[in-house]
Amino acid sequence: MAIRVNPKIIDDLEGYGAEDVQLCYHCGNCSAVCPHADEFNVFPRRPMRYLQMGLERKLETSLEPWLCYYCGQCSDQCPRGAEPGETMMSLRRWLISRYDITGIARLFFKSTKVELAAVIIVALLTGIFFLGFGLWQGDINVYDGSNAFLPSSFIHNFDLALGFLVALFIGLSAFRFWWFSMGGKSAVPIPWWLYIKKAYLLPWHFFTQKRFADCEKETTRRIYLPWLAHLGLMLGYVIMLFIVMVFVKQLQAGPEINWSVHVFGYLASLGLLIGVVYMLRGRLKKNRTQYQRSHGSDWIFLVLLFIIALTGVTQHILHRSGLLLAANIVYIVHLMVVVPWLLRMPFTKWAHMFLRPLGMYFSAVRNEALAKQKSGIETTVPARKVA
Amino acid sequence: MRTGIFFCQVEENNRLNIAAVAKYAANLPNVETVQELGIQPRLDAKDLAGQVHSGNLERIVIAGDMPGYFKPVFTKAMALAGHDPLEVRLASFREHGASGSTTLERAKAIVVCAAFGVPFALAVEPAETPVQPTTLIIGAGIAGIQAALEIADAGKPVCLVERFGTIGGHMAMFDKTFPTLDCSACILTPKMVSVAQHEMIRLLTNSEVIALSGSPGSYRVQIKCKARMVDVDACVACNICSEVCPVEVASEFDAGIARRKAVYIPFPQAVPNAYLVDAENCLYVQSAGKKCGACLKKCPKECIDLTQKDEIIEIEVGNIIIATGYDVLRAENIEHYGYGILPNVLTALEFERLTNASGPTGGKIVTKSLKLNKRTKLEEWVFDANGPAPKSIAIIHCVGSRDQNYNSYCSRVCCMYSLKFAHLVKEKLPGADCYEFYIDMRAFGKGYEEFFERIKHEGTFVIRGRTAAISELNGQMMVTGEDIIQDKLIQFPVDMVLLAVGLIPAHGTEELSHMLGLTRDEDGWFSELNYNGRPMDTEKGCIYVAGMCQSPKDIPDVVAQASAVAAGVLSSISSGKGIGHRGSVTLSEIEARAKNLQAK
Repeated sequence: MAIRVNPKIIDDLEGYGAEDVQLCYHCGNCSAVCPHADEFNVFPRRPMRYLQMGLERKLETSLEPWLCYYCGQCSDQCPRGAEPGETMMSLRRWLISRYDITGIARLFFKSTKVELAAVIIVALLTGIFFLGFGLWQGDINVYDGSNAFLPSSFIHNFDLALGFLVALFIGLSAFRFWWFSMGGKSAVPIPWWLYIKKAYLLPWHFFTQKRFADCEKETTRRIYLPWLAHLGLMLGYVIMLFIVMVFVKQLQAGPEINWSVHVFGYLASLGLLIGVVYMLRGRLKKNRTQYQRSHGSDWIFLVLLFIIALTGVTQHILHRSGLLLAANIVYIVHLMVVVPWLLRMPFTKWAHMFLRPLGMYFSAVRNEALAKQKSGIETTVPARKVA
Repeated sequence: MRTGIFFCQVEENNRLNIAAVAKYAANLPNVETVQELGIQPRLDAKDLAGQVHSGNLERIVIAGDMPGYFKPVFTKAMALAGHDPLEVRLASFREHGASGSTTLERAKAIVVCAAFGVPFALAVEPAETPVQPTTLIIGAGIAGIQAALEIADAGKPVCLVERFGTIGGHMAMFDKTFPTLDCSACILTPKMVSVAQHEMIRLLTNSEVIALSGSPGSYRVQIKCKARMVDVDACVACNICSEVCPVEVASEFDAGIARRKAVYIPFPQAVPNAYLVDAENCLYVQSAGKKCGACLKKCPKECIDLTQKDEIIEIEVGNIIIATGYDVLRAENIEHYGYGILPNVLTALEFERLTNASGPTGGKIVTKSLKLNKRTKLEEWVFDANGPAPKSIAIIHCVGSRDQNYNSYCSRVCCMYSLKFAHLVKEKLPGADCYEFYIDMRAFGKGYEEFFERIKHEGTFVIRGRTAAISELNGQMMVTGEDIIQDKLIQFPVDMVLLAVGLIPAHGTEELSHMLGLTRDEDGWFSELNYNGRPMDTEKGCIYVAGMCQSPKDIPDVVAQASAVAAGVLSSISSGKGIGHRGSVTLSEIEARAKNLQAK
């Protein structure tokens, strides 16, 4: 089979953040220190090689970038400063843009200005729409109940429509992800029952991010804070997303606190705020290898999320303290940030929330398929003997 | 000649004020026009030809860090204008070394020479000075010994200064040389003995240069001769003093894997072949005569004087050769290789001593065993000739070399000595497995590639890939790495790991460079005057570099460079003319010389 080479891919990836791939001289240090590299997924060196050789097809079908949580050990020990960890990060961005059929992801990753402009336009449209809608049908001094400025039933339907749109694009990306790595474009035949056998891994990786903790398993000074912050942030917004999608009516009701719903909201807000502040602080101080270089889209994500959490909490407090006019205004601001933030999800790094557990699940399935294929012919000689 | 000067840069240079140079250039005679074209200017030959024509320029000077980059378009312009295209002159700041504190002056001088059409090298040649016949050589390793013998054999006096108690340097520690597998000592020791016996060589061991004054051709040097406390002429090296000495410290000559006494001889073939006292560890010296003194009582020749004081002597020399050599990088800095924690992780120098027949195990390759130290009552890992032999040995290349976290340069000798180690292991332990982990095999010299082939055929596993970590699992050392060729992660047990550690300038190099006023490159090695044309001269007149102190190199190259230095020194002595400090010629002198040369 002919191998198609795209020599420009390494330049193309610069836009996604990887600038130093060409420095790599293939000593293999990174793969050897990586706690996640295994028999079938020798990375980060292998993808670095693919990049240098322009093997676009191989990169498209590879699962390795999804197995990396960017602990930074490879970059720390790299003798060339080729930043293998950053390359994995950039490859994830590149893969997201490959899985995305609309081409929006590529546009956003390539230009932070475009992304920022899109966010601002959507935010303004949202603001105008909700302001007009509120003034037309309600009273700006009423937060809840009849004649409310923004009635919760309408918000509920709006949420569901928005959620459907986001799910549609994420689903399409996920399907293409499967198609590239496991389906039509893959060279490894995979029996269907392996998908079922390993299915438990999908929720496992999604809810525990166990492999992020595993990043530290071979180090002497184990630092679990980045994993906890990441997990807290993720669980925070998954819970928040869920209660906003399903229980927005109860959430918006009041002013008395409905503990059965609100307690989750409080916990999620706390997780979100702590996680976002931890990550923003890290990226500002650049105190760890993985925070050295931040892509524009990372900043947009974190800053928007911070505003969302802050306005969400503020409107809740304002509503409970009876300042309904202020609560409605903050609500509009909240929506102005939430809508573009949710809409950009499938086209930015945020998609990794679903794609990474999926990648780990696929990898487990593929590894087992490969192991079955290889068993019997495998030798255990550690090195080549020339004689 | 009507001259036009064009300043063109390929990239930004913040250290040079181009405007100041341009202003200066505008006042030079016959200069018609001076233009600052900036960085990477878009040049059009037709436009330039028009300028040449309108200004009637007979000569064009392109000035910049890399002016040659722009030469073709100017040449074309001159030809289009019907002028002599050979009159495009380059004023190259980078080539002629406009850097450091004198950047501006140097750049001006370079432009003057180009404007006058005079080769810069001719105009800046420093004045010649008369030369004293004596030569000082700092460092008596193979480079210092070779240069000393060459000069002394020509009948000129040499003063050879060595910091350590014996001459010979690192080469005396080695077992074999690559790729010929000659016995290192068999080559070196006859030369050492010749040095000791040579009537033209004044040998000062256990001594250091502490101050320098004077000018090229007649330097005054202060040398501190540390108290040896043993009379070199009377001592017969009978070893009785060492036997009774109660102090034990790590032996420098054995790279720390064996112990020596406070009164000791570095190794049996030491030159001068006499004992010396390590004043820092001697109980008698440290207690000002209150304790011990065992060696004084037992010495049959009564040649030990523990009250001897350091002495400072001053000599006058014409030329100075620096041959201070190197040290090995501190392997304990590289945490993931476990050196200093895992007992059987050795550096290259330690293995050289282990496998050397004059080493602590008599040349047997063994792993360390736990022994009770009677003095401290603690168990220690030591080499014992009856210890267990390793069944598998991993040799790791590029430890701290070609690594931006440590040394970004290649230490040049590690690949070859690692291959030599593989051979020695296979020779002494035919049943043992030997693994070489390399990144790129730099077998660059005569017979080296063939040596590599030979090692492969001897059954050594050669793995392309760097070892990432050495760890211990239930008392068994494990190496972890990636086999690049097979695209596979590997982890397997080994009994001994040899680290091919990179080389760094010898300690004290920085102080010496300040004392002599020499510059060092970014990695700390002494800078040579011109890497291609004058690899052993320095910018200071009558001071030369030889051997490793200039850059890492193998023994043949060191010897060749040492002999080349000797030739330079001898020619300056026999002609009676030494070269003064480079850069000592002032701008006005250069202007005057350029005018004179132009008139000729």
